[in-house]
Amino acid sequence: MKLTAFGDIFPKLSGAQSEGVKRIFGIFLLLLVVYVATAILNPNFIGPYNQENLIRRTSLFGIMGIGVALVIITGGIDLSLGSVVCLVGVGVPWLIMDQGWPPWLALIVALAVPLLIGLCHGLLVTKLRLQPFIVTLCGLLIYRGVTRGFTGDQTAGFGNELKGLRWIANGEIPLFPGFGIPFPAIILIVIAILAGIFLNRTIYGRYLLALGNNEEAARFSGINTDRMITLAYVICSGLAGLAGLLFVLDLNLAQPVDFGNFYELYAIAAAVLGGCSLRGGSGTILGVIIGTALLRVLRNMMNMAFLGFQRAEFAVIGAVILGGVIADELAKRAVARKLSAQKDRERRSKQERLPPN
Amino acid sequence: MKVFSSFFLYAGLATLALGPAGCGGGSDSGGGDEARYAYVTNGVDPFWTIAESGVRAAAADLQVHADVLMPAAGAVEQKSMLEDLMTRGTTGIAVSPIDAANQTDFLNQVAEQTILITHDSDAPDSNRRIYIGMDNYDAGRECGKLVKEALPDGGSIMILIGRMEQDNARRRRQGVIDELLDRSHDPSRFDPPGSQIAGEKFTILGTLTDQFDRAKAKANAEDTLARNPDISGMVGLFAYNPPLILEALEQAGRLKEVKVIAFDEADRTLQGIVDGDVYGTVVQNPYLYGYRSIEVLKAIHEGGETGADENGFINIEARKIKKDNVEAFWADLKKNLGKE
Repeated sequence: MKLTAFGDIFPKLSGAQSEGVKRIFGIFLLLLVVYVATAILNPNFIGPYNQENLIRRTSLFGIMGIGVALVIITGGIDLSLGSVVCLVGVGVPWLIMDQGWPPWLALIVALAVPLLIGLCHGLLVTKLRLQPFIVTLCGLLIYRGVTRGFTGDQTAGFGNELKGLRWIANGEIPLFPGFGIPFPAIILIVIAILAGIFLNRTIYGRYLLALGNNEEAARFSGINTDRMITLAYVICSGLAGLAGLLFVLDLNLAQPVDFGNFYELYAIAAAVLGGCSLRGGSGTILGVIIGTALLRVLRNMMNMAFLGFQRAEFAVIGAVILGGVIADELAKRAVARKLSAQKDRERRSKQERLPPN
Repeated sequence: MKVFSSFFLYAGLATLALGPAGCGGGSDSGGGDEARYAYVTNGVDPFWTIAESGVRAAAADLQVHADVLMPAAGAVEQKSMLEDLMTRGTTGIAVSPIDAANQTDFLNQVAEQTILITHDSDAPDSNRRIYIGMDNYDAGRECGKLVKEALPDGGSIMILIGRMEQDNARRRRQGVIDELLDRSHDPSRFDPPGSQIAGEKFTILGTLTDQFDRAKAKANAEDTLARNPDISGMVGLFAYNPPLILEALEQAGRLKEVKVIAFDEADRTLQGIVDGDVYGTVVQNPYLYGYRSIEVLKAIHEGGETGADENGFINIEARKIKKDNVEAFWADLKKNLGKE
C-alpha cells in the first residue's frame, strides 16, 4: 500500500502527464543548483538545524500550495488563502485564550469554518457562475476584515499555554542526535500522499484533470463538474485553515492586520513553479512541494550567504525563478525541435527507401 | 488585458484589506470645545493600544475630542489618512511618521494647515512644532548597555528589526552599535545594515529586517542560529522580534545559552525576563506618548505652555526593565491597559 501511495505522488511517465514531469524536472534541477550553491557559499547551510528549519517551513507553506494546486487544476484560483490563514491563525488563540473556549472546541471550529468558506466559494463559482478571481478576492477582504473586527486588531497568542498542542507545529521526531523530522513534515507527507492518490488513482482526480482541460467536454461526458469544482475549493480552504493553525502554533503570535498577508501568492507561485498550468488541466503534487521548497530555500539562501544584500531579496528570488523558468522553456523547445527534426529525418529516409512507383 | 486589470484589482483590494484600523474610533468626550485632535500611529500593534488608552484618558480628562488612527498598510496609507484628516478639518495632529526623510515636504504641507507634532518617531527636518518621545539613539545606547551587562566578556551579536526606514528604528539600532563599540555620542552616524562590524569586544554580525512578516521574523532568528552556531546574543529591536527570537531558541533548545536583549514590552518578552530567558528590555512609555500628545496639542491650540525644550523636544525617558523590576512594571502596564 505504502509503495503504491509513494508512486502516486510521482506521476506516471505517460500521456498528458509527461509534460508535467518535464516541468518538475526543470524546477527540481533549479532547486538542486540553488541548494548546492548555497551549501558551497556557507557550509552551515547543510547543518542539521538549518535542514530541519527548511523542512518545517516547506511543510507549512506546502500544505497551502497543495490546496491551491487542486483549485488551479480545475482552471480556478483562490486568492483568499492568506486571509483564511489569518482567520484561523488569529481565531484559534483568540477563542482559547481570550474567550476561554476549550481547545478541542476551538479546533473543531477552526477546521470547520474554512471548509464552509470553501463550500461557499465553490457554490458561488459553480451555481452562480461567478469568476473565481472575484469570489476569492472578496473572500480575501472579508475574512481579514472580520478577523480584525472580532479581535479589535489585537495580537493573539498562546503565551506559555498549550505546549502539547503546539508540538504538532514545532515538535519533531528525533532520528539521530541533533536532527529530527519536524512534525509538520509528517502532516505534509500524509496530505501529499492522499492528494496524490486522489488526483492520480481515483476517478474523481481524473475528473478534476479532465474538467480542467475542457470543462464543457467533461460535463457532456457525464461528469458532475460542479461537484468536483466545489470539492476542490473545499479542500483548498480546508488546507489553508490547517496551515493557519500550524503557523500560529509554530509562531505563537498572530497579528490580525498582517498575519498570512500575501501568503496566497507564495502558494500560487509554488503551484505554478511545480508545473500547474493556470489554464487548468495539469499539475502534480510533488511539483508543488518542490516549488515550495525552492521558494523557502531561496529566502534562506539570502540569510545564509548574502547577508549584506537582504534588501535585494525579492529581486534575487524573482530573478532566479524567472531565469529558471526561461531556461526550462528554452530547453524544452530545443528538445522538441530535435525530436521533430529526428522524425523528419526518419520520415525522409523511409520515403527514400520506398521503391519508386 | 483582462488579466492585467484583474491583477490591479487584486493589488488594490489586497491593500484595502489591510486598511485603516480604529477609524472613527474617536473618544467623544463631549465638552464645549469644538477642537478635534487626531493621533496617528505608524502601524497596528499592541504598543499602540497602550498609547490609545493614554489618548482616551487625556481626552476624558481634558474634555476634548480625539481620534486614534492606525495605518495598516504603510506610508501610503498614513499619507492618505493625514490628507483625509485635513479635508475633514482637524485642529491638531500628532503623528509617528513612517518614513520621515521622504515625508518632509508632505509633513510641512500638513503643518501649514493644522498644528502638527510628532510622537514616537521624529521628523527632525520638518516644520513639526514638537516631538514627544524618547531619543531613540539614547534608548539604543541603553539597550547596548544591557547587552554589555548580559555579556561582560563581549561576543558576537545579531540585530533583528522590523524595518530600517523609520527614523526611530535607524537611531535605535545605531545607538546599540555605537554603545557596543564604545564609540562617541553621534546620532547621525550610520552603518549599513548588511556589513559585519567588529569592535574590541563585540562583533555585530549584521542587521536583519522582516518588513513585519512574522514568519520571516522567526526565520531570520533561525537562520542566524544556523549561520552562526556560536553566536553569543541576539537583540530584538521591534516589539515582536524578541518573542520570535525566544520561539526560535526554544525550538533549537538553546534558551538561556544565547542571551536575548529586547526592546519594548511584549508579554512574552516580560515573561522571558521573569523566567530568565531574556536578560532585559528597554521600554518606552506609549501611554504617556498618547496622553502627552493630546495635552500638548491642546496647549498649543490654546496658547499655553508645552514644556518642550529649545528644539521642541519633550523627553519621555526610556526605562530598563530587568529581573528586579519586571513584576512591578508589568502590573502597572496591565493597569494602564485596563486588564486588571
